[in-house]
Amino acid sequence: MSAPKIRLEAVSKSFDASVVVEKLSLDVRDGEFLAIVGPSGCGKTTVLNMLAGLEKPSSGAMTLNGRPIEGPGAERGVMFQDYALFPWRTVRGNVEFGLVYGPAGQALSPAQRAERVERTIEMVGLKGSQDKYPHQLSGGMRQRVALARLMASEPEILLMDEPLAALDAQTRVILQDELLRIWGQDRPASERRTVVFITHAIDEAVFLADRVAVLSSHPGRLKQIVDIDLPRPRGDETRRSGAFARLSQSIWELIREEAYRATMN
Amino acid sequence: MSAVLSTDGKTANGFRRLDGAFVYLRTMALFVLAWYVGSLFVPSKLLLPSPLAVAVALRDTALNGELFGNALISLARLAASVVGAAAIAVPLGLLMGRSRLWNDLLELPVEMLRPIAGIAWIPLALYLFGIGHRLPLFIMFYTAFFPLLIGTAAGAATVDKRLIAAARTMGLSSPRIMWRVIVPAALPAILVSARLAVAASWTAVVAAELVGAPNGLGYAIEYYRSMLSTPTVMAFIVTIGLLGFLTDKGLRLLSRALTPWARTGAAR
Repeated sequence: MSAPKIRLEAVSKSFDASVVVEKLSLDVRDGEFLAIVGPSGCGKTTVLNMLAGLEKPSSGAMTLNGRPIEGPGAERGVMFQDYALFPWRTVRGNVEFGLVYGPAGQALSPAQRAERVERTIEMVGLKGSQDKYPHQLSGGMRQRVALARLMASEPEILLMDEPLAALDAQTRVILQDELLRIWGQDRPASERRTVVFITHAIDEAVFLADRVAVLSSHPGRLKQIVDIDLPRPRGDETRRSGAFARLSQSIWELIREEAYRATMN
Repeated sequence: MSAVLSTDGKTANGFRRLDGAFVYLRTMALFVLAWYVGSLFVPSKLLLPSPLAVAVALRDTALNGELFGNALISLARLAASVVGAAAIAVPLGLLMGRSRLWNDLLELPVEMLRPIAGIAWIPLALYLFGIGHRLPLFIMFYTAFFPLLIGTAAGAATVDKRLIAAARTMGLSSPRIMWRVIVPAALPAILVSARLAVAASWTAVVAAELVGAPNGLGYAIEYYRSMLSTPTVMAFIVTIGLLGFLTDKGLRLLSRALTPWARTGAAR
């Protein structure tokens, strides 16, 4: 087994007096789709922000390819929960942003950049909306812009914070399928990118991920890692299968008690 | 489909604009009527000339070139001092809004100078600059400076943190983040403060030229006051009101063109 892409060793994070994440140790393998689920208050978003380099752990070590993570970097692309699109830039302006102003597009000629931007916009189904501003788009379309902006820079690692949470059920299912296609579930595992995907939706985690890390809350600790051995490529058959339902059920049982407690309080 | 929609939208907008113009005219007509009736009851034409006399004075000063000449000089001074103030206040405001150090450094002097009206410096400026272009330029620069500085600093300080985080995760350097994220995100606030600065400068232009300039609208008002020609004084006052209104309208159009994404606040 190869060295992990990302390694978290006893990572803790506290804000003032409250411990949000406690002694979290976790390996993310190269090319795997790892989902992190847990009830609200388990510090999922904090874990992602630390991986992105936007927050520093209070203690513990985080490494990427064996080197410590000390700040943000273009090799780790982030898709934020509320999209964080630049309102003054059009769809195209948002998608090309990292390529034009960041290191991701340095090696490309302007023509190659433009070609990749158009291809990415087409891939997420936004062709024809290139010149619209974010405020002119529906929630689902903004979501796609954020996804395209992430994909255009072709980062080694995709960090996604509840990217589908704000969508209606149908759009969500469609974008789950698209996400897997873009990630490369049809390609051999060695050609896939590494994904860390935060979600509170258990069925979504099971459908998408190779492994699901289940966190407990207050403070956030690793409860269990569940291997999802559903065959790929996955699609509607996967969602209807008995194995899918059984895995979802078993993860639900892991966090049910805490989820109830969180809801009732 | 979308073409049809946008055409419809434009027509509706056109009607609304006409409605707006009508409201303006109606209000103005009422005001002029009240003014006229009022002037009938004031015996001295020196105290309150009728709108008709003012209209005649407007026509005369317009025809002999005095109106446009003085208006042009005042406008040029206003533009020069507001642009000059913006050239310093906007970069400084960006630094104040984004850097603790700069904010700590500048906050006290700014807060002490800001409450002092620009015209309070006129006596001192008279000694320093004498009568000429420099005095009104200085007073208007001073008046425009603080709204621009404070507005820019506030705009830069309240930029959505997530947008900055997004740019950082794309590997942008700090100067690039300033230029590509902070500046565009703060632009609506900067444009609002520019409108405030221009409005404040219009009030200062008259006071500064009244005392310290050999020409300009303020100078003309003072000159015709000493000639006891109240209708002409009023003609220049009306001109200032009109120009103030038009420059603000122009700035609003500019805001809308520069920030098409900002549907509220600056663009309206």
